[in-house]
Amino acid sequence: MFADCILIVFISVCTAFLGEGLTWIMVYRTEKYKKLKAEVEKQSKKLEKQKENESNDRVQKKKLERQEEKLKTNSRDLSLVKMKSMFAIGFAFTALLSMFNSIFDGRVVANLPFTPISFIQGISHRNLPGEDYTHCSFIFLYILCTMSIRQVRSIYIVFEMNKKKERKALNKWVTFIFLRVHKFSHVPFVLLFCYMLNLVW
Amino acid sequence: MANHSTKKSSKTTVEDAHAGQSLLSKAFTPEFQWTDKDEFLDVIYWIRQILGLMLGLVWGIIPLKGFIGLALFLLVNVAIVYIYYNSFQKVDEEEYGGASEILKEGLMTSFSSFLVAWIILYSALHSETGS
Repeated sequence: MFADCILIVFISVCTAFLGEGLTWIMVYRTEKYKKLKAEVEKQSKKLEKQKENESNDRVQKKKLERQEEKLKTNSRDLSLVKMKSMFAIGFAFTALLSMFNSIFDGRVVANLPFTPISFIQGISHRNLPGEDYTHCSFIFLYILCTMSIRQVRSIYIVFEMNKKKERKALNKWVTFIFLRVHKFSHVPFVLLFCYMLNLVW
Repeated sequence: MANHSTKKSSKTTVEDAHAGQSLLSKAFTPEFQWTDKDEFLDVIYWIRQILGLMLGLVWGIIPLKGFIGLALFLLVNVAIVYIYYNSFQKVDEEEYGGASEILKEGLMTSFSSFLVAWIILYSALHSETGS
């Protein structure tokens, strides 16, 4: 049982790394992504500078608005670039997951120290025989592991972004944009999770 | 305008003074002046992660069972973060969008790492069919 748990943690770490590697190959190292990212960083810095010497001039304000709009489109493009490849990776991982699922089919991998609430029981007692709801299936532990690992990984990406930017430019606006981009990158993961759950159901 | 620029330059000197300090030493300096809000939230995030893992291990070894374990984890986790930012760092929570924003930061991740640690240790040490 303990070996199974460790194996599952290992599997989720591996898949997280694999996913990250694939994303790097398909997104981060591409020219389009680099260009867009540089553009967004440049624009947000520029915008920040202009905001500092804010004036009530109407023309200035309009210019500012136009730039904000441009920045928004660019960051949207950035997340779109990410999203496409993430969907591809998502499908690959679904296949991988269904394979693991069949390997661990009907096997109790851990004993839960608590009885999950009814709607979680569908996941935690998935494909397991018997009525003991403290028995934990592969998929539940896997999802938990992935949740903690993936979040750590994505916060690392934000860290990297923050470090590269000039400290002075790191203000609310920039963070807002980056968090937005960052938040968008979670959309495919959420969709993927729903899809995976549907598939293994 | 002149006022604005002096304010800005004084801020820069504070930033420069803290530039060499690592995040860890900043985190353990009481009432540290956080010029970068993100950094403070990162500190909270990592404290949460470590706390989640530690509490998971402790809960697994004791072992705590059932709903009380979950509730106790949430309570301890939130309380420690609250004490940290309120008494140790004395941060103005309004700057971060209220207490709930700080208390929410990284809670879900911390919860999942806690569950993983708790479940693995509990089933390895205390279940009848374990190990």
